[in-house]
Amino acid sequence: MTRPDKNNGSNAAPNGGTALHAKKKVRPEAPSRFYGTPLPGVKLEELSGTLFVLEGSDGSGRSTQISLLTEWLESEGFAVQTMGLRRSFLVGEDIDALMAENSVTRTTLSLMYSTDFFDQLERRILPALRSGLIVLADRYIFTLIARSAVRGISRDYLHGIYEMALRPDLTFWLNVRPEIAFDREFKKAQTISYWESGRDMSLSNDLFQSFIRYQSLIKREFEYLSKRHGFIELDGEGSVSEVNRVLRKRIASHLGIRSTHYKPSHALSHLWR
Amino acid sequence: MRLHSSVFHMAITFPNISATEDTAPVKVAATKRQYPGALVVVEGIDGSGKSTQLYLLKRWLEIGGYRIHFTEWNSSPLVKSATRRGKQRRLLTPTTFSLLHAADFADRCERQILPLLHGGYLVLADRYIYTAFARDAARGCAPRWLRNLYSFAPIPDITFYFRAPLDVAVNRIVAGRPKLKYYEAGMDLGISLDRAESFRIFQERILGNYDQMIESDHFILMDGTVRVNKLQKLMRQIVGERIDLGQFAPKKK
Repeated sequence: MTRPDKNNGSNAAPNGGTALHAKKKVRPEAPSRFYGTPLPGVKLEELSGTLFVLEGSDGSGRSTQISLLTEWLESEGFAVQTMGLRRSFLVGEDIDALMAENSVTRTTLSLMYSTDFFDQLERRILPALRSGLIVLADRYIFTLIARSAVRGISRDYLHGIYEMALRPDLTFWLNVRPEIAFDREFKKAQTISYWESGRDMSLSNDLFQSFIRYQSLIKREFEYLSKRHGFIELDGEGSVSEVNRVLRKRIASHLGIRSTHYKPSHALSHLWR
Repeated sequence: MRLHSSVFHMAITFPNISATEDTAPVKVAATKRQYPGALVVVEGIDGSGKSTQLYLLKRWLEIGGYRIHFTEWNSSPLVKSATRRGKQRRLLTPTTFSLLHAADFADRCERQILPLLHGGYLVLADRYIYTAFARDAARGCAPRWLRNLYSFAPIPDITFYFRAPLDVAVNRIVAGRPKLKYYEAGMDLGISLDRAESFRIFQERILGNYDQMIESDHFILMDGTVRVNKLQKLMRQIVGERIDLGQFAPKKK
């Protein structure tokens, strides 16, 4: 463990890295690295890496920030592993196929996403954390919980499934108004995706209305989740460089990096606006 | 609903979650029956004779012209490719194995079992959520987590638990199959390098888990060593006593 101060729970063994991170704040609601029942077969003391999560709707700038943070952390000498939804080898493609059909029901889709999440957690994230890497997650259980919750699946049920997920070291929420997210997404793709506008929920036949209503419902779930799980809320409507500066500051302080200076390389300079 | 006879109420069961390891109870959503159909399930380890008995029950009801539907575990085409990939390449952990099967079950539940129950069918299920409870717990999943995972499933009206001694059941399976499959034999648990031996130990654990649910989940214990026709007679008698079959009978014109 690099952050023994956060692991005062019975199943965490404080060891290693104490001097560097000794002054970190204790989060009383976070005694363990798992939310509930631990994932079978995981030895917490082996996990020396760090998990940072970026949450936010489409159009909140998550992916851009992850690219920039990866470059910055690598330039600082940290090895980075990323994760995101539908990227598991086990079921990533199957979810794409399911979503292309209209026969999939909400519980099945929700559980396929859980499978996808835990496959990545067990076979990609945990090995990375055992090797001391920094994991940047492009969305995490919170998006999965919010999406299912707005479709009427009980929050208790969802929290019960994800109680075996690893608690992130820091969770950032890039909060944008649905109208701004719509503008950005439309500019990017010249249309709005079926699922991001929640069209399966029959909210409105008008695509814009449907998108706004759906994203507002999701946002309300996030407001609840933010309180429950202590998100760091950022203004996703700020400029890329400003949001990135705040992210670097929080991450640097968590990792004990002194310098947070960063200018994107030529390859990423197009993202810097 | 009009069809809630006293027999139905007797059969409504509340799984005793507090009997498992943890203190915090898990809410079970599907405890109140809100449909006119009925659900009969068979459970038990491989080789216990449950499928044969359910087949015979199904034939009896089919021949009688009753409104029934038969469903079995692991039959949904939607998640089949993922299950196959996971099994072939041995990618599944106890957690993803469990979740994938739950996704598969959810598909069958939401697209078959629930609509049929709401449509007034007598649904016969070869294996149900108790298979997952017994098998996945034998793999190391937490019972409380499993109970929550399947809490969307309707509680059966009757759960027949077919129990045969381990040796009898294992011999029936091993004799009939050229090779036991990797996950089927519980090889992922690393109990034994010998597949038959691993299968035996795995089944023994599952059997123990089933036994623990007999009371809490109101199983009807069926002796799998009793002669087939005699056991079937008993099964039909119990179904007739506990379920108002008249409501599933062919309509007189």
